Parts: sequence; C-alpha cells; structure tokens
Amino acid sequence: MNAIFDWISSFFASASANIKLVDKALAGLEGSYVELLTVLALGLLAIVPVIVPKKRRQFYRRLNQLFGIMIFIFVVYTCLGVFGLVRNFYHGLTEIGKENIIALYYCSVPATILVTSMIFGPFFCGWICPTGAIQEFVGMITAPWTRRRKLAGWPASKGVFASAVGVAAIFLLWMAYLSVTRIFFVEDATIYWSLVLVVLLLILAWKMRDWDDRLRRLRIFSFFVVAIGAVLSFRITSPVHFGFSKVYDPASVLSTVMVVFAALVIPNVWCRYLCPWREAIAWAARGSARSLATNRESCTHCGSCTAVCSVDAVKDGHINAHECHMCLKCVDTCPTNAIEMVEKWKAEK
Amino acid sequence: MEGRKVAACFLLLLLVLPGLASAEELSLWPAERGFVDNSGTLVLGRELAETPLPEWHFSRRSDRRYRPGQAVWACPALAVVNGRPMAFVGGFDSTMHALDLMSKEEAWSKITNGPINSGAAIGEIGGRQVVYWGSTDRSVYSFFALEGSRLWTREIIEPTSSLGDVELSAPVLLGGVLYICCFAYDKAIARSDQKAELIALEAATGRELWRLRVGDGPLSTPVILEIGGRDVAIIAARKGLVQAFDLSTKPPHRMWDYQMPQEVLGYPAVDTTATPPSLFLGSKFGSMISLDAATGKERWKKMTGDWLDNSPAVGSVKGRRAVFGGSNDYCVYAWAADSGELLWRQPIGGEVFSIPTLFTLDGKPSVLVSSLDDHTYVLDADDGRVVTSFFTGELLWDLKTKGENVWGSAAVFQGRANTVAVFGSYNGTIFVIPLTGECSLTAKVRSSAGLWIGLAVAFVLFVFVILPVVLLLPGRKGGVEPE
Repeated sequence: MNAIFDWISSFFASASANIKLVDKALAGLEGSYVELLTVLALGLLAIVPVIVPKKRRQFYRRLNQLFGIMIFIFVVYTCLGVFGLVRNFYHGLTEIGKENIIALYYCSVPATILVTSMIFGPFFCGWICPTGAIQEFVGMITAPWTRRRKLAGWPASKGVFASAVGVAAIFLLWMAYLSVTRIFFVEDATIYWSLVLVVLLLILAWKMRDWDDRLRRLRIFSFFVVAIGAVLSFRITSPVHFGFSKVYDPASVLSTVMVVFAALVIPNVWCRYLCPWREAIAWAARGSARSLATNRESCTHCGSCTAVCSVDAVKDGHINAHECHMCLKCVDTCPTNAIEMVEKWKAEK
Repeated sequence: MEGRKVAACFLLLLLVLPGLASAEELSLWPAERGFVDNSGTLVLGRELAETPLPEWHFSRRSDRRYRPGQAVWACPALAVVNGRPMAFVGGFDSTMHALDLMSKEEAWSKITNGPINSGAAIGEIGGRQVVYWGSTDRSVYSFFALEGSRLWTREIIEPTSSLGDVELSAPVLLGGVLYICCFAYDKAIARSDQKAELIALEAATGRELWRLRVGDGPLSTPVILEIGGRDVAIIAARKGLVQAFDLSTKPPHRMWDYQMPQEVLGYPAVDTTATPPSLFLGSKFGSMISLDAATGKERWKKMTGDWLDNSPAVGSVKGRRAVFGGSNDYCVYAWAADSGELLWRQPIGGEVFSIPTLFTLDGKPSVLVSSLDDHTYVLDADDGRVVTSFFTGELLWDLKTKGENVWGSAAVFQGRANTVAVFGSYNGTIFVIPLTGECSLTAKVRSSAGLWIGLAVAFVLFVFVILPVVLLLPGRKGGVEPE
C-alpha cells in the first residue's frame, strides 16, 4: 500500500514541479507582476458563455471548462483555489491605499469573477471553475446511475452507503500514510474538509432525500471558516490548489482525490455542500442581468430539466436561482423551449 | 640570578598570556560561508558554549524598497567579538548591520550607496577583528567589528555616466590579501564593455595589488584554497565556465577550466580532506558535479529533479564525507563525496533555495535548509529525517520566481546549550533562532497522534455541533423564479 501511495506522491510532486508555461507571470505594468495574462484569460473565458451560439452550446461549454482547467493549471499564479480566492481577496482589500499594485494583483481574479457574476450570473461555476469542471467530467462516468437515483428522489441506498464507506476507507488509509511520511502544518487544514466530505457522503447515503436542501447551508459555514482563517492569516489550502500553485501539497492532493471520488457518488458534491466561493457567487449573482425563467404554459412537466441538472437547481421547471450554475443544460434540453435565458436589460426596453 | 630569571619568565608570561588569550578569542570568518566547505557554522568556545543566546527578531524600517533580483538579506557572517557572539548581515536596505546576539542590540550599522547582495568576511588586523564586504555601489568596505569604525573603503570600479549595475561577490581573505570578484558593464552601446575581474586588495590598507580579467559575465564568489603548496582561486562564471588560477604566479595564470553543462547560480564547495581536494558545484538545471580541484577533471555528475539555485556544502554522513545540496524539486540531497552515490533524499514543503548549513545539534550531525514554503528545516544529517522546522515568514514581494533572486542562507553558532541559527529571512526580518529549547517560530507541526486527535475533534464538532445547527435552522425559500 505504501508503495502505491509513494508512487502517487512522487507522481504529483514531479508533475507539479515545472508545470507553468511561463516562469514569471506576465507583467502588466513594469515591475508590478500583475497577472495580466490571468485576467485576460479569465475575461476571455467569461465572454464565451455570452457569445457562444445556442447550437451545440454544451459542446462549447465543455470546451470552455477544459480551457479553464488548462489555464488554471498552466498559467495562473494568483489563484490558490477556492479558499485562496477568499484569502487573496481579503489580503488585496487590506492593501488598497497602501500598495495599490499589490491590491490589484490580489483582487484581480476574485473581483473579475464576482463582477462577471453580478452582470452575467453565476457563469463562472457552470462554465469556468476547474473544481466544478473536474467533478462534472468525473460525474459522467456514473451519470446513468446517479440520474436514476435523482429521478427516484435520492432514496437511501446500500450501494451509495458502500461507495461512501469505500471513499472513507481511502481517506483513512491515505491519512495513515501521510501521517507517518509528511509534516502537517496549519495550512493543511483542507484535510478537515476532506473529513467533512466523507462524513457527508455517509449521511447523504441515508438522508439525502430529506436533508439535501438544508445541508447546502454548510457552504455558509465553509465560507465563514475560510474568511476567518484569512483574517487570522492562516493559509488554508483547498482542493485542486496543488495544481495551481506549482507546489506539491499532499493535503490538497488528498482533498482533490476525495472530491473526485465523492463526485462519482453524488454529482458536484463539493459545489453543492462545501464550496465557499459558490455561496459568494450565488449572492453576487442575485441581481444579475441574465437569469433563467420558465414559461409555465409551455412546460409539459416532462422532467428532462430535472434529469440533466447536476446540482438539482431545477425541479420540474422550477429554477432555484441560488443553486443554479448557469450551465444552461436545462435550457438546451427542454423539448418545448419553456426554459429560457432572460436578459433583463432587453426585457426592460 | 635564579630569582631574576623567574621574574623575567613571569613578566614574559604576563605579556604573552593576554595575547594568547585574545588570539584564542579572535574568531575569524574568512569567506561568505565561513570556510571552503560552505558549512556556515562557527563553533563557540568553551565559555560561551554554555551561555544561552536569546531568540531575536531583528527588523528595521528602511526607506530603501526591495526589488526582486536583490538579496533581501545576504548570508550572515559570524564572529565572537570581545567575548560577544555577533552577526554581520547586509541586505537590500544597503546597510551592514552588526548585531550583538547576546544583548539583542544592534552594535552598529553602516549605510552604503547600494544593496549588499553578498555576505561579509571577517579577518584580523593588528589583533582586532575587521569586517569586509562589497556593495553594489562599486566599493569594498572594511570596518572594525567591535565598534564599527572605518579601516578603509575602496572604490574598485570607476564610475561612468553609462555604467550599469555592478555585481560584487563576497570577499575572501587569505594571507593578508582580500580577494573579490566584480562584474561591471557599461550600458553605452559604443563601448559595450562587460568586464568580470578578480581583484586582490591588501587587507590592511585596501591598496589594490592586482586585478585579473576572468570573463565577460557575472562571477561567483571566489573559492581560495591551498593545493600542493600553492594558493589557488577557483571562480565559476554565471555562464558555467569554472576556472582555477594559480595565485603564486604573477600575474596569476590559469591552471584549468571546466565548462558546466548549464548556467551556475552558486559557487563551489570544497572537500579539503580528499587528496587532491574535491570541488562540488550545482548547475541551473539540476546537475551536481564533482571536480578534481587540482586538475579540473570531472569526478562524478548527478542529476536532481529541478534547478540547484545555490551552492552545496560539504560535511559528513555516518562518518563518510558527503556533499549536501538543496534543489527546486523540493528535496534536500546528500551524496557521497567520493563517488556521488545518493545517500539520502528528503522532500520538504517547497523549493529549497538556501545553501545547507551543517552543524552538530545535541551531538547529532544536522543540516539546516530554508525552503520557499516559508519554513526553515533542521534535518538529521545521517538520514535526512526532518527534526524540526520554523516558520520564517513570507516573501516581501509577490511572486516566487526561479533563478532571478539572490538567496541568503542561515549561519549557525554552535554551542552546547545554545546552538542558534542566524537567518535573514525574505520577509525582511533577521531571525536568531534557538535550535535547542523553546522558540516561538517552531512550526505548528502536527505529530502523527496530534493529527488523528485533530481529525477526531473535527469529526465530533461537525457531527454534534455544526450538523445539528445546519439541520435545525429554519429553511430558506431558495429563490425559485416567478411563475
């Protein structure tokens, strides 16, 4: 077992060693090290959902997600994952007025995401976010199984329970390996999120039907814990962080693996229950100019929108805007075009 | 008659003994890392070895702003001056700070006209210790270590209106001569003058003895050692050309040269116990190469997983001579000095940027390295096991970039009850870290048991506090879109 974990560790260590395309972030202003390339790349990714043709939209969305993963892994330096975004943003805000260039550097990515969410809705989650994209791609493997369970109303299931126990076993074995081979620091606190994810899976196997909505409030807890950590200057790394930071971070690797396995059992499980950034984006997008609306007269209650939504934001044509990722799968699947994207600025004319 | 002889002997003893005593107390640090093995450690005398040195975080607000590419702090030079352990550290604030580690006071400081990117050397003139350093303001400085009064300063490059940045290496002392490498370039296209020179100055007066042109690019700190009765200077150019010069001839003639496979970012370490001495040098893309210091013939070559950003150091592993190096692949390596056999490889939390410092801690040979994960680690030199680590702060600037910064490394005062590391961190603070006993910087590393206890606490907290709160709070309407 140790040999397997050793191999995985050395693989991630060597893979993350020299992964960035440029050794120094592209300087936007001389000597400032502002990540112009990152802001430009994210801006480009944010524009795609707006300009992409309706025909084959899901194909372009997946392409955009793939580019998102590539850009975050090979280009981005600023972003340290979903937790790092909160921390960087806070740090950037504290630098305003003191070191404005540094403030711009730290705020650029989170501000870009929040502002695009405020205007266009939570497209970042559905079209760009690499953590969400990885879960979505992984979830395709078990999609027939999870879709059946979803349509049945997420019943208690021995199969899910067994899968959750399997994920828990991997977590415990990996932790046992790490506890004797690595030094753990406060910033490795992402292992606690992994633990919570494992416990959540066990609970969801039993009570997802009843508790799904209420458990989503955990995102608020997650956000406040990370925000308090940021204020107290704790550098808590997050899943997928190791891919962005060019540093092999065993705790982050472990939490990423946990997210991947958990997403096989419950689609987009991280986004649903634990992602702090998802909660921030949902709040930012409340008054966005773009949103989804259902024409009740056209709706035939066929359930196709319910079946395709990976975060259960649509149920029988009713859209929960707070949970919606704006992936537009429901819009593209609806046989009667009852769900459509509403542009408020056009509607007000 | 007998009585006179006894009295004369007694008087002679009275005259000689204080001299002997002071000679014992005069600790010297003739090169940037102390000695040619790059160990970076000064062993304290018997009296001081038992006196605990306090933890100290030294920082001064400076008008000078750090620019990437400079050293935040260069390697500290250590000496016992007038019975007090002192560290001499220069850095981006263009100032040489003389720190009294016993009283936690700055004994003196001298501002130069440019950042100090290299460490100081400490020699002795007329029974008094003298600190020598080079600054990017084109000058070499020498000041008495105790009170900070000037012995001499020497401008070694004539200024021109189009002169670019000047790079001065750390000075090296041998036989009353101060050797220093210098690279200066003239930005005027018409001149296109790029000069790299080895300069010899008289240590007592600063008088220039000679200068030798050795290339046209930046040079490393010279390594000066005796090989077969001759003083030899070995210099690595940034472009990778390693050259050895016989200093006993006038002008010094080139004994050998060796082209490294890639650029070189450090300077060589030497194992003087080998005959002839072995020289070790790392290259930018990760090759560690051993050369015969007398002939320049390659002895062995090993690869690491990434850049070697700094110099190696030579010590021992289980009684066997070993060369230690830190790589950007997050690992510290120990190779057998004679064969290059890998003795151990220890991954730590980030890129290793410092020169390994070798010392003895509680009777065990130890290695101290600093990493870009903002921690400084103490490893067991025998097997590479991590003994402890210290959080030494975050970068002053935004991004960690490879190959573009001048990294400082720690130096260690080795005593019995009071072994301390002096480390100029890239967060702008000079830390004096007690390696024995309590230290506030000790990283909050979780032991294996602590890790499981932490997980158990998190489990209980989540299941019995957070989960019930989340489930019992009144429901949210959920923002369902209007019909």
